[in-house]
Amino acid sequence: MLLHELLGLAALFFGVTFSVIGVVGMLRFPDVYTRLHASGKVSTLGLWGILLGAALLLEGAFPRALALAVFLVLVQPIASHAIAAAARCSGVPMALSFRDDMPPLETPSATPEQP
Amino acid sequence: MSNLANIGAQIALIVLIVLLAPCVWRMVRARHAAERLQAIDLLTTLLIGIVVVLAVVEGVAFLVDIGIALAAFSFIGTLAVARYLSEGGLF
Repeated sequence: MLLHELLGLAALFFGVTFSVIGVVGMLRFPDVYTRLHASGKVSTLGLWGILLGAALLLEGAFPRALALAVFLVLVQPIASHAIAAAARCSGVPMALSFRDDMPPLETPSATPEQP
Repeated sequence: MSNLANIGAQIALIVLIVLLAPCVWRMVRARHAAERLQAIDLLTTLLIGIVVVLAVVEGVAFLVDIGIALAAFSFIGTLAVARYLSEGGLF
């Protein structure tokens, strides 16, 4: 049991712990907009931990893991923003909102109810 | 890689595979198309993690390349479906 294997296992279980937290948040948050917070944790911190563990545990995996990590940090926020925009424009209602600063949508089926 | 590290990686793989089930449940029980899209996005993110941990367990480094390809295709698919939902068409 070498030191880099110990660090790799620690990073791997860090990433798996963040994945568990993200999936629990995915189950417990009420609507799309709050669940994006939880799924963003899985896609950055969870996968970064797993990739760091793979780079430490596996020989020859470091450049590939680095490429995948850079690609993920460039791409996953764009995907999260696209999901939020799609949910907003297709009229998914917010749960438990005190106020909504966005203007109401034009289509009558997608207009959020006024208080 | 020592025996203990291999056992730890296998435990991580089992935990990640078990985590797929709540996402599938969330995808099936979704009320809107955007919720289903979000569940599929999280599902592919977990699949990338599974592929990377499988590369560690098997000791084959080029399995991480499959993770890169899966990340690229899931990004393109998510963006296409999101544009279809928000603007009514791809272009």
